[in-house]
Amino acid sequence: MELAWYALLGLFFATYLVLGGYDYGVGLLLARGATPQARRAALNAVGPFFLGNEVWLVAAVGILFGAFPALEGELLSGSYPAVLGALFGVVLVTAGVQLRGRPRSAAARAGWDRVVVAGSVLAALGWGALLGALLQGVPPSGDGHGAGAGHLFTPFVAAAALALLALVAVHGATFLTLRLPAADVPSVARLARGLVPAALTAVATVAVLGLLSDRVRAAVARPAVAVLLPLALVAALLVARAALRRGRAGVAFAATSVALALPVPLVGAALWPRVLVATADPGASLTVADAAASGPTLALLGWLALPLVPALLGFQAMCWWVFRGRTDGRAPVYW
Amino acid sequence: MDPLLLARLQFATTTSIHFLFVVVTLGLVTLLVGLQTAGFVTGKPVYERLTRFWGQLYVINYVLGIATGIVMEFQFGLNWSGLSRYVGNVFGAPLAIETLVAFFLESTFLGMWIFGWHRLRRGVHLALLWGVALTAYASAFWIMVANAWLQHPVGYEVRDGVAHLTDFGALLTNPTLGFAFGHVVSAALVTGGMLMAAVSAWHLIRRTPDFALFRKSLRLGLITAALAVTTLQGFGFAQFAPVGELQPTKFGGGADRDALVADWTARFGPGDYTPPVLSNVGLGFMIMIGFTLGCVWFLLPLLWRDWLIRLKFPLWLVLLAVPLPFVAVILGWIAREVGRQPWVAYGLLPTGQAVSPVSPGLMLTSLIGFSLLLGTLAVTNWVLLARHAARGAHDPALGRPPAPDTDHHPHPVFA
Ligand code: HDD
Ligand code: HEM
Ligand code: HEM
Repeated sequence: MELAWYALLGLFFATYLVLGGYDYGVGLLLARGATPQARRAALNAVGPFFLGNEVWLVAAVGILFGAFPALEGELLSGSYPAVLGALFGVVLVTAGVQLRGRPRSAAARAGWDRVVVAGSVLAALGWGALLGALLQGVPPSGDGHGAGAGHLFTPFVAAAALALLALVAVHGATFLTLRLPAADVPSVARLARGLVPAALTAVATVAVLGLLSDRVRAAVARPAVAVLLPLALVAALLVARAALRRGRAGVAFAATSVALALPVPLVGAALWPRVLVATADPGASLTVADAAASGPTLALLGWLALPLVPALLGFQAMCWWVFRGRTDGRAPVYW
Repeated sequence: MDPLLLARLQFATTTSIHFLFVVVTLGLVTLLVGLQTAGFVTGKPVYERLTRFWGQLYVINYVLGIATGIVMEFQFGLNWSGLSRYVGNVFGAPLAIETLVAFFLESTFLGMWIFGWHRLRRGVHLALLWGVALTAYASAFWIMVANAWLQHPVGYEVRDGVAHLTDFGALLTNPTLGFAFGHVVSAALVTGGMLMAAVSAWHLIRRTPDFALFRKSLRLGLITAALAVTTLQGFGFAQFAPVGELQPTKFGGGADRDALVADWTARFGPGDYTPPVLSNVGLGFMIMIGFTLGCVWFLLPLLWRDWLIRLKFPLWLVLLAVPLPFVAVILGWIAREVGRQPWVAYGLLPTGQAVSPVSPGLMLTSLIGFSLLLGTLAVTNWVLLARHAARGAHDPALGRPPAPDTDHHPHPVFA
């Protein structure tokens, strides 16, 4: 039962990274200094999906609270700065994307675009840091001296944050190759390909720093997973690069989606059966079973989730289906 | 600085901002459903124009509902980890249900509704708005279930110092839930109705074009506000009985209170078990505002032959009344939330035990950061709302028909 909920939590958070990831990626690319028209076209490519993407995060946190209350409190308060950064970013992106189209003056819109860029950077860095922090173990927060700050500032966590930023940038550009009018694709495809080496470097740096870090090595219970999944991530990036060169936007987007989703199973499986590893005192670690809500709560939520999750996926799929294909001059423009 | 105080201040600030927006969302979406349905049934273009105009204001307002809502949701884990540790098994369930049943679908539907004009069949497009409205009500319901549980914990038992769920049904029949939910929903309808009436009044005072359109929304807004203010008053007074009985410390003195305080002192040790005075100050003002708003009933006869518009000064009254519901909702929440202090979960978990062991510095950063961020966004949002309201229904961006010519404009042309 706990495993099923843990998997569902992972599914929601990973999907958020994939879907929210391209929102932030597209947001980052607004910094390229393109024309106002190009910026607006990029945001409208995200358009109809934007609201539906972000709720994966809201739902993931809901599942976290309902099914893993103990983890919720420890994880969020124990990684305070990372969560704070991510949250600031999410709020800025949400407000920026939706409000940028409201003022009429070009200057105001450019201002909102900067808000979106800053928010995207913060969100990507924040979630990357949180994933890194999980992998390197968190000190137990019950120890009295205010958990949540110092232990986060390590090279490994910084590298993880930057790696997610790079992945998000590649993913956003790849998404645009799938959605923008065909005439605009070659330039974004070139950009996406150019970003792949940066992402590869960032991922490799995380791997090396992880191998060098005592805390990471101590926290990881399954080294095989911790080696294989990063390799899969690298492979996905290489596939994306090759597909972009051949103009296979769909394949490239699938590959970058895999690259964005992989960090979640990586963290989950490498630490299993623990979720929060107390590196100083392994006995104080929180396992998935400890973190889970008690039986009646899980059973109640389970009966609810059984019919609900397919319905949620169905309505999201409806959204993707209705608005599939490339945008053009006739596509509704709102942001 | 005391982390507890900082956490409480932050919660109070962010929830208050959140509520100022969601109360409008909940009210407007109901009116929008009426407008779009009327358009679907009658086929009259005026309803489509009304839907686009009010829909645009609704969507602008919605942005801050989401932005602040996400902060609220994380705040439980960031600042109140004790809440999830001790009562998460029970309190977490309605919140999880809320996110899955309500928010997830609400946002998915809304995204499709915004971009689905002229693309989806009209019936499907209307159904999406119905979906948005129903899920918005569902979200208000489940959040009130969670809040009612904090007001009066039921359906649980404590084992090893942690609350476990025993009877979910009891959460739904919680005596602090029903009237409060009715009161909140009525408050939302009053707020939405007054806002609609006031914006329309402004246009009618200024004699902007579109007289017929704003006349219609003035009437719709006023009638909705009048009907809802009556249920609002009813549910409001009805709350005193159950709340006064279950929370004897809330509305002041009495033998029940003294007995309860003695019991708590025996179980939790000595302490100050009465809420701060602040809690009841606002209650009287809220009730006064409730009666003042009740006066919309006197305006309704003036709808006959448009006397309301011809006399003009009633329009000014409607315009000036706009801040009242907003002030009242905040006062009401302060009465409810501050009135249950010093408990997060009344008689079960003291607020001090729920706060996270986070350093005051971090907590202060978070308080200042979020207050500035959300405060700035809120003000910006209101400015944008006011500008769009003043711009009129001539050509809102929402639901604008697509450009007829595709070949010569690879990029859309913007207003
Ligand atoms: C438009 C806003 C508005 C107006 C005009 C009123 N209220 Fe209210 N009131 C609220 C909006 C509100 C609220 C913000 O929605 C609250 C906070 C929590 C709740 O359930 O509703 C609330 C709470 C609240 C409470 C506290 C319940 C508790 O502590 O658990 C009481 C006793 C009343 N109301 C009673 C009234 C009465 C007798 C009113 C006068 C006729 C009145 N309210 C007008
Ligand atoms: C949206 C309307 C709401 C407003 C304006 C509001 C207002 C407040 C205020 C002013 C406080 C500070 C009280 C104090 O510490 O003295 C507070 C605390 C709190 N409220 Fe609310 N509240 C709202 C809704 C809710 C709901 C729906 C829930 C539960 C789901 C909730 C849960 C809490 C918690 C956990 C605290 C912190 C602990 C405490 O101080 O008791 N609130 N709220
Ligand atoms: C203090 C507890 C609360 C929390 C944790 C909370 C959480 C949230 C979250 C996460 C969202 C964004 C969902 C999205 O992305 O679409 C949201 C929006 C919303 N909330 Fe709250 N909320 C709280 C209080 C309330 C109350 C008291 C009400 C109404 C009675 C309410 C009604 C709504 C509605 C209708 C929305 C939809 C978005 C909007 O209206 O702008 N919330 N809330």
